[in-house]
Amino acid sequence: MLLELENVTISTFDQQRIIVNNVSFGVKEGSIHSIIGPNGSGKSTLAYAIMGLSNYKLASGKILFEGQDITNKTITERAQLGITLAWQEPARIEGLTVAKYISLGMKEKSSAKAKEALKTVNLEPERYYDRCIDDSLSGGERKRIELAAAIAMQPRLIILDEPDSGLDVIITEDFWNIFNKIKELNMTILLITHREDIGMVADYGTLLWRGEHLITDEFPKVMLQYCKKAGLKEYCKRALFKNGAKCFDDDYIDKIFAGVDL
Amino acid sequence: MTDSEYPGEILQSLEDYNIDIRDFLPGHGSGAKLLLNFNKISGIEQVKGIVLKGREIENGIVADVVIKKGTHHDEPIHLCFGVNKESGIQEIFPRIIAEDDTDVKIQAHCSFPNANGLIHKMFGHFYIGKNCNFTYSETHYHGENSGALVAPVAIMYVGENSTFENNFNLTKGTPGIVKIMIDIYAMRNSTIRSNIRAFGKSKKDSIRIRDSIFLEGENARSLIKMKAAARDGGEVLMYGVTEGNAPHCNGHVECNEIVLGKGSICRARPFIRATDPTSSISHEASLGRFPQKWLDELQAKGLTEAEATDILIEAMLRE
Repeated sequence: MLLELENVTISTFDQQRIIVNNVSFGVKEGSIHSIIGPNGSGKSTLAYAIMGLSNYKLASGKILFEGQDITNKTITERAQLGITLAWQEPARIEGLTVAKYISLGMKEKSSAKAKEALKTVNLEPERYYDRCIDDSLSGGERKRIELAAAIAMQPRLIILDEPDSGLDVIITEDFWNIFNKIKELNMTILLITHREDIGMVADYGTLLWRGEHLITDEFPKVMLQYCKKAGLKEYCKRALFKNGAKCFDDDYIDKIFAGVDL
Repeated sequence: MTDSEYPGEILQSLEDYNIDIRDFLPGHGSGAKLLLNFNKISGIEQVKGIVLKGREIENGIVADVVIKKGTHHDEPIHLCFGVNKESGIQEIFPRIIAEDDTDVKIQAHCSFPNANGLIHKMFGHFYIGKNCNFTYSETHYHGENSGALVAPVAIMYVGENSTFENNFNLTKGTPGIVKIMIDIYAMRNSTIRSNIRAFGKSKKDSIRIRDSIFLEGENARSLIKMKAAARDGGEVLMYGVTEGNAPHCNGHVECNEIVLGKGSICRARPFIRATDPTSSISHEASLGRFPQKWLDELQAKGLTEAEATDILIEAMLRE
């Protein structure tokens, strides 16, 4: 496993409320692993804790990266080990060019590699490379630049925090292609999303429900449990497709929802 | 005048602001130029539609820049007021007149690389006519010894339907003691943008800037953006003033200041006043450190907090 969480519990900053409770799962190297769950289930909190943000310390448990305990490492130390995070709503820092921003995390600064990262996220370098990160960029463009900056770092693990939020459904396929390109670059993706159409690109999944870990398995199986938990049988029959084929027969879904022990 | 006659040391700091030194030297480019070496005029180069004149006085010069009606020029007018001596007094009295229907830029540079007890004063008058598009950008470099006392005052009148952009940048080197007062009067349908950037880097640096815009004409609009940082005991006071004195005028003052290291002080005093019930004037200010999320974003790319802060300061103060 590239990343392992062992009995991770995270509480609010004032320690009055538990957000993520006793969660354990692993992320295989080279995979796309999606964490799903409804709003408020603790997905982003878990992502920030893995990245090591100062306001998201573990109340208990351990985080291991390549077998090394990184629980007490800073965000900078984790990034230098090969973990990075592409933010749900990245900041617009006026005065910083796209070129500069992308190069920040690159071990060897190279404009060719920075431009290649822009191409990976389907942005034309000639239009974007010298631009400033300001209000002239749309939310979607800003997210792609964030993703390009993460890719340019060549990390071992990229955490993508709701890369689809606020974007048109029509670009879903575009994002699938981008995720697959990242995977081909030998990077592991931990994808935080609450959209099953985005998550279906994942090899594996973890379902969080009100801060509790319900299941970690192949992604369609996790999605099936998510639908069951949410009482969405018809949706499950209609929407669970992977590579153009239905993931489960309707009879199988009926049995799962009926609670039949399979 | 040849290139070698003007002290290269004075112009060197332009590179820190990503401005080509050659643009300021007569014989290069197509822009008008005026160069002052302490209290002596080193060179004047005029172009069609732009009159540049200077007269030496006891401690400096009186200079006139007149942009004739209808003149449009892409290449900026370059003004350089430099002193490479350690001490002395330099006083500048510029009168800048842009006649109606003109479109020009002025790039001014005040450079005192060896300042140690040097005094630079300016008392400038700007008159921008009707239907003009005028940009005045001024960069400063006061050496590395915090040894300058710089006190410019400018009064600017912006005519009907004109756009005026004012850029002041004091982010390289050590400022010393700086006291700046700018008053801009905006007439009907005019638009003013004023961008002020300054960086105090030691306890010998004290920067006070008052940037005032008076919206005197109907539908006049303005935006003041003041950005500053104070490090290692430096002190910065940004005083952004906007008055709405005419129907449907609209103004905003924005001030962001970053405090770094013990003993540093940043202060912001937005002062807004509306005397017309249809005017709309607002302000916002933030002081202290950068938002934690910004630091987290950069640290997630492997930067330390100090490195991330430096990058953010550089970005904030970039022109």
